[in-house]
Amino acid sequence: MANPDVVIIGGGIIGCSCAYYLAKESLKVALVEKDSICSEASKSCQGHLFLWELPAINIKLAKASKKLYEQLYNELDIDFELRSTGSMSIAEKPEDLGTLQQTLNELRQAGVECQLLDAKEFIKAEPNVARDIGGGAFFPEDGQLNPLLTTIALAQAAKKLGADIRPFTEVTDIELSADKSSVVAVETTKGKISTKYVVNAAGVWSGQIGQMVGINIPVVPRRGNLIVTEQVPDNIINCQVIIASGYLDSLKGESKVAVAANVQQTRECNLLLGSSREFTGFDKNVNPEVISLIAKRCIRFFPVLAELNTIRSWAGLRPYSPDMLPIISSSPIEGFYVASGHEGVGITMGPITGKLITQLITKQQLDLAVDQLSLERFAEKQ
Amino acid sequence: MSKQKQRTYEGESDISVENADMIICRCQEVTLKEIVQAIAEGATTVNEIKRRTRAGMGLCQGKSCSILVRKILAEHTGQKFAKVMPGTSRPPVRPIALSTLASLEDDTDGKS
Repeated sequence: MANPDVVIIGGGIIGCSCAYYLAKESLKVALVEKDSICSEASKSCQGHLFLWELPAINIKLAKASKKLYEQLYNELDIDFELRSTGSMSIAEKPEDLGTLQQTLNELRQAGVECQLLDAKEFIKAEPNVARDIGGGAFFPEDGQLNPLLTTIALAQAAKKLGADIRPFTEVTDIELSADKSSVVAVETTKGKISTKYVVNAAGVWSGQIGQMVGINIPVVPRRGNLIVTEQVPDNIINCQVIIASGYLDSLKGESKVAVAANVQQTRECNLLLGSSREFTGFDKNVNPEVISLIAKRCIRFFPVLAELNTIRSWAGLRPYSPDMLPIISSSPIEGFYVASGHEGVGITMGPITGKLITQLITKQQLDLAVDQLSLERFAEKQ
Repeated sequence: MSKQKQRTYEGESDISVENADMIICRCQEVTLKEIVQAIAEGATTVNEIKRRTRAGMGLCQGKSCSILVRKILAEHTGQKFAKVMPGTSRPPVRPIALSTLASLEDDTDGKS
């Protein structure tokens, strides 16, 4: 494709969602990715869909995205293992139940379906949980998918609609008009691509892409470690997505290393055990100390996990934005759009992000107001 | 060169389309046909084949199938076998119990 309308930078869930929805609107799309499709954060995660992360804008985005996933499940050629599993949250001690109840009340006001469970009810639902827990909550709207196949399915569908998917093509510079007001072309390791629009979906590298056009995008890497077990029977946990209630605290940016038990079973029956959050730059090595903490915390809530075989551990980098809200935004440079900073909710919010970016570029009515997600919010604080 | 080496590296092999149902990744029961299809859909590396087909995602983490997958990739993409890199390796090198991982750092209690 010689002159696409849009060049998308990044072949993760966000870039591939943008490619799909833009191509569906008959725009000529080129997607450039420095490695292969789905090679970074999107391939390093668990693949859950949480519809309860405050503030309200996040919940709106997550709900809209889940609806889009249900449509995509029928539209795309690859079965990406979408399941409405619901999710459960464990309150570690009886005294945590009060705080959890308060959180659930807030969530109900934001339109989230949820139930409080006392210890007896929780243990009845999950007989393998530790007997000393305080109780927990059930979120029936949550779900799960295979993030690898989802990202690949979106890229493949975009390609079928005419998008030019170019893996192993790294962006080296972005050319602006003489007056520096609009984008003109994207320079890559495999040649220059002239274009009117650029979508920066480069995840943890979106700050570097921003610098090419002189825009500050304050996204930094936040490492997560995961462990996967061998395939095991599907009755070790009944709800396939279970987290400990400390998860919410672990999202907060204050501590250098935060670990929360997060036990999920994929449709192929492996258990994915997480999760952790660390600010360690671009280092993607597994941190043995963190892996050990994750193992401990998961066994603390599900003692039965202790003897299961683990077969692999890995680490990936979440694109963290300082206020834990994604950036879905136009920019002071005409034609330059940003879709980044999703931290741990890139999978959850992939489709709605792609749809909103498409609506911004094609100047259509937006499904949701994106003012809160604008890049401007960071400028105001400076 | 031993017979085994010939079979898996450079020599004659049974990895041809006539054997499309041959299991390549034994842990995840991925067939030759599935791997060839992944290549047809654009996969050019062992990691990409793994993401699409699960070849190498099982108990042995690709120890059995990695060389075969590389050979199939080489044959179907016109690359030299030596140029086709193995997939990413990650710890542990063999399956170990979660309790063993949990006891790696006994002095880190309370940090979470």
